[in-house]
Parts: sequence; structure tokens; C-alpha cells
Amino acid sequence: MTSPTLELRDVRKTYGDVAAVRGVTFEVPAGTIFGLLGPNGAGKTTTIRMIMDIIAPDSGEVLVFGHRRTREDLRRIGYLPEERGLYRKMTVIDQLVYLGELRGLKRRESLPRIVDWLERVDLAAWGKRKIEELSKGMQQKVQLVGTVLHEPDLLVLDEPFTGLDPINQSLFRDLLLDYRRRGKTVVLSTHGMLLAEKLCDHICLISAGEVVLAGELRAIRRRLGGNAYRLRVANPQQLDLDRLAEVPGIERAVTEDSMVKLLLAPDVDGGRVLRELVGFLDVEEFRSEEPDLEEIFIKAVSGAAV
Amino acid sequence: MRPSDAYVVGKREYLVRIKGWGFWVATFGLPLFMAAMMAVPALLMTRGHTAHRLALVDTTGELAGPLRERLASAEREGARVVDFDLRVLPPGPDAAAQRARLDRMALAGEIDAWIWLDEEDLGRGRFEYHSESVSSWLTQEVLQGVVSEVVAAWRLRRAGFDTEKIAELTRGVDLRTVKVSEGGSSAEGGFGGVVLAIFLFTILYAVLILYGTQVMQGVLEEKTSRIVEVMTSAVRPLELMLGKLVGICCVGLTQVAIWIATAVLLTAPGVFALRSILPAGLNVPSFTPGLVLHFLALFLIGFFLFATLYAMVGAATNNMQEAQHLASFAIVFLVAPMFFFMQVINDPDGRLAVVTSMIPFFMPLVMMLRIAVKTPPMWQLAVAYTLAIVTTCGLVWVCARVYRVGILMYGKRPTLAELWRWVRYA
Repeated sequence: MTSPTLELRDVRKTYGDVAAVRGVTFEVPAGTIFGLLGPNGAGKTTTIRMIMDIIAPDSGEVLVFGHRRTREDLRRIGYLPEERGLYRKMTVIDQLVYLGELRGLKRRESLPRIVDWLERVDLAAWGKRKIEELSKGMQQKVQLVGTVLHEPDLLVLDEPFTGLDPINQSLFRDLLLDYRRRGKTVVLSTHGMLLAEKLCDHICLISAGEVVLAGELRAIRRRLGGNAYRLRVANPQQLDLDRLAEVPGIERAVTEDSMVKLLLAPDVDGGRVLRELVGFLDVEEFRSEEPDLEEIFIKAVSGAAV
Repeated sequence: MRPSDAYVVGKREYLVRIKGWGFWVATFGLPLFMAAMMAVPALLMTRGHTAHRLALVDTTGELAGPLRERLASAEREGARVVDFDLRVLPPGPDAAAQRARLDRMALAGEIDAWIWLDEEDLGRGRFEYHSESVSSWLTQEVLQGVVSEVVAAWRLRRAGFDTEKIAELTRGVDLRTVKVSEGGSSAEGGFGGVVLAIFLFTILYAVLILYGTQVMQGVLEEKTSRIVEVMTSAVRPLELMLGKLVGICCVGLTQVAIWIATAVLLTAPGVFALRSILPAGLNVPSFTPGLVLHFLALFLIGFFLFATLYAMVGAATNNMQEAQHLASFAIVFLVAPMFFFMQVINDPDGRLAVVTSMIPFFMPLVMMLRIAVKTPPMWQLAVAYTLAIVTTCGLVWVCARVYRVGILMYGKRPTLAELWRWVRYA
């Protein structure tokens, strides 16, 4: 297996008396979208700043692309900070050329890319306009273009969706999904659970500077949901709860409303059970009953056992 | 440290400013403004005033003629700042009535003032000047000088001396200044040297304040608009700061180069345009290559000394108001030499000049004055330059640390103790 694109090992940071990050450890596998989740003040931005080498951790290690981060690695990373700005008096193109130059791109290399990108984010007509003439949403798109212009292998986005309208949110989301499709890795922090749920393959939930939950999102949900499924059949008279409980892998079956809740043994695959069931039932609906991320988030943060 | 990143940052800082209209307004506006400040009051005083209408009653009968002649000859020489339109009135039989009539004329605006010369008063060493306004001190001083001269000649004549002989014998002598330098002695106006010193001093002062403030504004702009967050992922704070300083420094150098080139052209031998508008007898000092080199070196030292202070202020504060308040502490060092620059020019090797030119924060401005007037001893130059350069390097180091922490800190303005902690942190 390839080494993770990003790895944090027991990273700590204290400001004065306040421990902002208390021993954070996680791995970001290559080619995934990784969500760093947590409530406000959980230490997400501090963690990201340490990933970006903007502030140095008091202790612990940050490994990027499988080794201790070097100066050159930063050029393979695209970073969109939470608090972000642009030079108000510069034109969109000049600004992007400048951001490209800071990542080692020559003007003639970056110009065609800039034209392409502006087209993609619907700003083609705005290239020669000054930043101050753009709306906030447009500025955010320019910032995103500035982040991806040098085609980094790792994108680090701190709250990328705040302040975006639904259309631009979905534009951003599509861009990120496209990025993953091309084998690149994305790390994003957010407290918007719905978006994280749709986007992320892996998550790390931090609260008060500590990791409370980390891993593959699907596995987490299955674990927290207790590997439960809901079943609906065309003819409820067919249902025999005892018969269901005899199916290998099903531990318990209970009726709930017009449906049946099936509790599977922890390592049993739902698909296998479904194949059994269709042998003797007219299955109309069979779906995994996973808690949504919001529930997990609230439960984890409020200290409930996870 | 990646110099290429600092270069990219510096290039942007330079181009953005050079392309802005503000730069060109300052480049051409400031010299015009300075020239106007010097020329306009002089022009207004020499040409803009109306003649002072003066009525004269001379009871001696011997002074009116010489006085009229003296005033006319002074006018011919063109060296006066006040013109008189003299009206001589014969003394009337009733002095009190005549004086009352003269007062009425002054009140009615027919004359500006009247003077009364009689033997008794002059014997006591005085004469009377009556006017609605007695605050025109310049007019009075000129008048007093002319009357004194005429009265003195009159007294001598009455005592039986040959006045022409006396005038010949008591003629004053002019001081002809010759500047002695390594390259040989050259006749040069003493006043010209002072003008040069003040010119260079003022330019240096103006650019240090101008560009120091620009650095502060630049840092603050990046901080308040949160651009710095984007920048810090690609550039180290040290590179960002150095790039900014060097970029803005080059803008200043460009401006100064334009000014100096213009001044060198205008003062070069054979350029008559400037000479013809200057008073005769004033030698225009020329810019020697050594002087230009010193100016550039002092600009560089001064710029990095003050710009780093300004950058630190920008990084440590949250808005322009806070920054300006804190920056006033830096400006004190720049303004202080304004209070003693005349003493330095007058005695460039005096204790005040030597001591202040050794203090790094005063060094660029004070040394500029000293060098323009008289080349200081080699050892003093060496010590002053060394101290200033070492201080500048130290300050850049401290500033880089404050900057690194400060640009990402928002909220309350840090106390001195916190600033010190930032320096130790980084």
C-alpha cells in the first residue's frame, strides 16, 4: 500500500496557557477527500496551519508525501486559508499570475491555465477587472483558482464552503470530486456536516484539540449504526420474524412501522444478506440504516461513547 | 530562505507602485512643491507688494534730498524688498496742526505713514514714525536703516568731515568663501553649500518618511485583508518581509535617481537656465560622485532602519489608526534632527554634530548634512556607518520575528512584553 499523502503524529500546540491542539494523530490516504471536522474553536485551523508549516508544532511530526515536510513539498500543496484575501487593486489575471509565480510558475506557463480555469468557474469575462470590482463569491472562486493553479498533489482547504451560495457550493464540490478522480488528495476542514457527508471518504473529528473519531466514513457509520438495515417487502403478510432471524448474519429482526429493522453481526456484509432475502421475499427496499454525520458529530462532541 | 520568492514579492511591490499615479505625482510634485516653497514667497515679497506711501516732514531742510536719493539708488540696485513712494512736505508754521493733518491723511488712506525729522529728536538719536499699522516691521527696519545712514552722513558733514572720503574708508568687505577639499580648493558659495546640505537633508527626510509609511501601509493592508494568510503558505514570512522592503526600497531609489539626475543636469556647468534665476554671486554647488554615493548609502541605511520599524508597527497593529499612533515613536527619530540641523551645518565638526551622527537613528540625516558641508574625518565615517549598519541588521532580525508572529495575530494590540515574547518565540 502506498504511504499516506499526509500524516500527523501526536502533534501538539499550546498558546500561553491554552492547549489548542493536544496530540492529534491521523492519516490521509492518497487519492481521497479527507474531512477535518469539529466545532468552532476545536483546533482545526491551528492544525491546518501546522500542516502548512505556518506555525511550528510544540511537539509531534507532520509527514507529507511519506517524509518529513521540506520547503519543496509546499509547492506540491495548494492551500486555501479560512481567512483569505486578495490584493484589491490588482486585476484578476495579475493576481493569479502572482500567486503562480510564488509557486514557481512562469507567467507564460500560468496564463493558459488561468484562462482555462476562469472559463471553468464562469469568470472568463472578469480577468482584466480589479479584484475590488468582484462580488465576494467571485473573489472566492478566484482564490480557489489560485489554490489549484499549480496543480498541487495535495489540496488543503480551510472552510472552503463558507460564504458560498448553493450554486457555487456545488461548483466547488464538483471541482473537488474531479480533483479526486485525477488521483489527487484533498484535505478540507468544515463544520458543514451535510457537505462533508457528500464529499468525504475519510474524516477526523476533533474537539477541544483532541481527536475524538477518525477513519473511513463508511466504516465509522457502519460501526456507529450497529450494522443495521431497514427492509420493506411488497407483501407484509409474507414476513416471519423468526424466519428472518434464521438467515445467516442476521442477529435480530424487529418490526418498526411498516418496515423491519435487521441487526446484522458486526462484520457481515449487507449485500450478502440481501441475496439471501431475495430468495424467499419480494424485497421492495433494503437500505443501510446509518446515522448521519450530524448525529455522529453531536454525539462525539458531547462526549457520548463512540 | 529562498531568494527567488523574495524577488517575486519584491517585483510585485515595485511594479504595483511604479505603475500607480501616486508615484509620478510624488516624483514630479515634490520638487515642484519644494521649489515653489522657496521661490513663491520671495517672488511675492519682491514683486507683489505695493509701494509704501510715506510722507516726510523735514524741519532741518537738509535731509529730504539725500534721503530721496538714497531710496532711489537702493531701488535701482534692486536689492530691496520694500519700495517707498516718498512725498516731502514743507514744515508748516504750526507743527501741532500739521501733525494733526498728517494723522488725518493717514486715517483717510491718502498715505500709509509719515515721519517727522527734526534736529531735536535726531539729537536724541530718534525719529517718529506714525502709521495706522505699526506692525510692518520689515518696512520700519528698512526705513530705519536708510534714515540712519543719511542722518549719519549729515552729522559727519556738519562736523566738517569729507563724507565721500568717509564713505570710501568705511566701505565694508565681502566674505568670499573657498571650500577646501582633498581635490583642491574651489571657490564656492558658502550659502550654496548650505542650500545643498538642506536640499539633500530634506529629500532624505521626505523619502524616509514617505517610504517608511508605505511599508507600514503595505504590511497592514496584507494583514487586514488577510492576504497574508494566502501568502504564508507559499512564502516564508522573512522572504515576504524582505521582498516587500527591497521592492519598496527600489521604488524609493528610482525616485531619488530621477531627482538626483535632474539636479545634476540642472547644476552642471553650462546650464544657464538655473543660474539666471539665482541671485548674482551665488555659486551653485555641484554634485560630486562621492556625494551622490554617500547619499545613496545613507538612503539605504535610513530606509532599512526606519522601514523595518514601520514594518514591525504594521505587523503588530490591527488598523491604520493604531499603527499611526505607534509609528509616531519612530517618527520622533526622523523629526529630531530638524531641531538642530542649523547647528550641524554651522559647525559640522562640533560636538553636537559628531555625537548625533554616531547615533544610528540620527546618523543618516545628520551625516548627510555633515558630508554636504564638509567631509568628516575618515574614522568618524567608519564608526558611524558601522554602528548604523550593525543596528540595521539587528533591527531586521528583530523585526522578522515580530513580523512572523504579528501578521497572523488579530485582536488586541500587543504590549511591549508580548512583543518581546514574540521575538523570543519564533
